[in-house]
Amino acid sequence: MTDPSVPTPVTSIPHATESVSVPQVRFRGEGGKLLLLLPPERETATPTAAWTDLWQQLKQRLNAAERFWQANTPVHLIARDRLLDARQLQAIADALTDAQLQLKRVHTTRRQTAVAAATAGFSVEQQPPIVHLNQEESGQALAEPLYIETTVRSGVEIRHPGTVIVLGDVNPGSSIVADGDVLVWGALRGVAQAGAAGNSRCLILALRMEPTQIRIADFVARAPQTPPDQYWPEVAYVTGDGIRIAKASDFSREALLE
Amino acid sequence: MSRIIVVTSGKGGVGKTTTTANLGMALAQRGHKVAVVDADFGLRNLDLLLGLENRIVYTAVEVLAGECRLDQALVRDKRQPNLALLPAAQNRTKDAVTPDQMKRLVAALTKAFHYILIDCPAGIEMGFQNAIASAREAIIVTTPEVAAVRDADRVVGLLEANDVKRMYLIINRLRPAMVEQDMMMSVKDVQDILAIPLLGVVPDDERVIVSTNRGEPLVLAENPSSAATAFSNIVRRLEGEKVPFMDLSAPPDDFFSRIRRFFQGHKP
Ligand SMILES: Nc1ncnc2c1ncn2[C@@H]1O[C@H](COP(=O)(O)OP(=O)(O)OP(=O)(O)O)[C@@H](O)[C@H]1O
Ligand SMILES: [Mg+2]
Repeated sequence: MTDPSVPTPVTSIPHATESVSVPQVRFRGEGGKLLLLLPPERETATPTAAWTDLWQQLKQRLNAAERFWQANTPVHLIARDRLLDARQLQAIADALTDAQLQLKRVHTTRRQTAVAAATAGFSVEQQPPIVHLNQEESGQALAEPLYIETTVRSGVEIRHPGTVIVLGDVNPGSSIVADGDVLVWGALRGVAQAGAAGNSRCLILALRMEPTQIRIADFVARAPQTPPDQYWPEVAYVTGDGIRIAKASDFSREALLE
Repeated sequence: MSRIIVVTSGKGGVGKTTTTANLGMALAQRGHKVAVVDADFGLRNLDLLLGLENRIVYTAVEVLAGECRLDQALVRDKRQPNLALLPAAQNRTKDAVTPDQMKRLVAALTKAFHYILIDCPAGIEMGFQNAIASAREAIIVTTPEVAAVRDADRVVGLLEANDVKRMYLIINRLRPAMVEQDMMMSVKDVQDILAIPLLGVVPDDERVIVSTNRGEPLVLAENPSSAATAFSNIVRRLEGEKVPFMDLSAPPDDFFSRIRRFFQGHKP
């Protein structure tokens, strides 16, 4: 009943620190406006690298989800402790304009960013650093699902404190790290991690399961050495013996038998 | 309006410069005014492949420094007067120019040329940023190898983020016999991952190496080699002609490739 292409389960490797979910650039709807949430500054990255990274994520989010908001929706940029200069703020505003969104207000905890935003003509709200706007991430509840309609390409990493749904392929060299489930309506060829905050009941689903590696909570599995002749939609889940993969059509029955 | 096309790959040595030289020459033969720009500062090669090395007086760096005019730095090809080369400096590094400077150079070239082909250096650092800064279209060159395709995929992602929306794929150095024996990625394998329109497939051909060493682009030869025919077809497709692909055995259509094509058709 189990698929012969079941990958070798590797049991319970210690919870790596990198799997702690650091949120990425993302949008969230709130009372008729959109919040554009930037991740907090990471110490390791150089300023240019941090900006390039941020920019690529923003463009990807915009390209991937355009049809989910109405034209001229106002946007509040939640910049947290990120340093942004006037040119970068303008670039963000222009990218939003191209997607028919309007940057209305910049929230920041940094004086420099506040000054740059004001100079560039945006309204600004500066909070003291303690009132972090990422409080929503510290609770137990998952964030609303992140839906992206794009090919996730090599070098791209998507982290989200909730479920991630990809309409498109997840290519080798990319990774998806979700605190909830990972659903790929396409080929999963990169690395996918579900239940990154430790929930082993999370699932990974793909139309075509060809991952480099999959992880659910603390469990890790690699793809089989010899690829199968044919692919079906499949589901990866955790059992007493580690990660199993089943045909999607067999899954619920099988899960009930466990 | 001029077409500004960057030829890029991520991985080194896969055939960017060879492609730029041959497409530039073939476009010029078709009557277009073409400028090929060497953006590989410090490791320039394009002049060698075009056999124009000994005619370089000034480079892009002198133009930017105001030490000469743009048309003084351009090297016209004697065999094909429609073609001109803007050389890179050999004694500088990739940080010698900025993306804004490249944009200004290319903008100046658009006044006199229909096609501007930019030969991008390997990698995704400063030299890459410079080369793509002004491009509106991109030709992604890859060989059918896992590492080259991986890097090409990364580059496609970076180009998407930089608003280069039109991208085309060239698969270089294909060896059909090896594909047949399952020892090399097939055209379909590569396309499955990169999911951008295929402009052409260039076979692995030793005459490419001979032409590189002689400084004579293949498309100039009297008796066209298979690689030369591939480059001519690529240029016709680039200009919107429907040219059938050279016969390369493809596996039968299956359900999943149909699904994938469905996705490709619906890309935003
Ligand atoms: N189709 C081909 N058949 C055989 N040899 C080829 C083919 N294409 C390119 N080559 C050879 O591969 C080598 C590298 O080609 P080329 O210089 O065009 O690559 P590149 O991508 O520009 O390299 P770099 O990243 O160093 O700039 C050259 O020696 C060239 O002759
Ligand atoms: Mg080169």
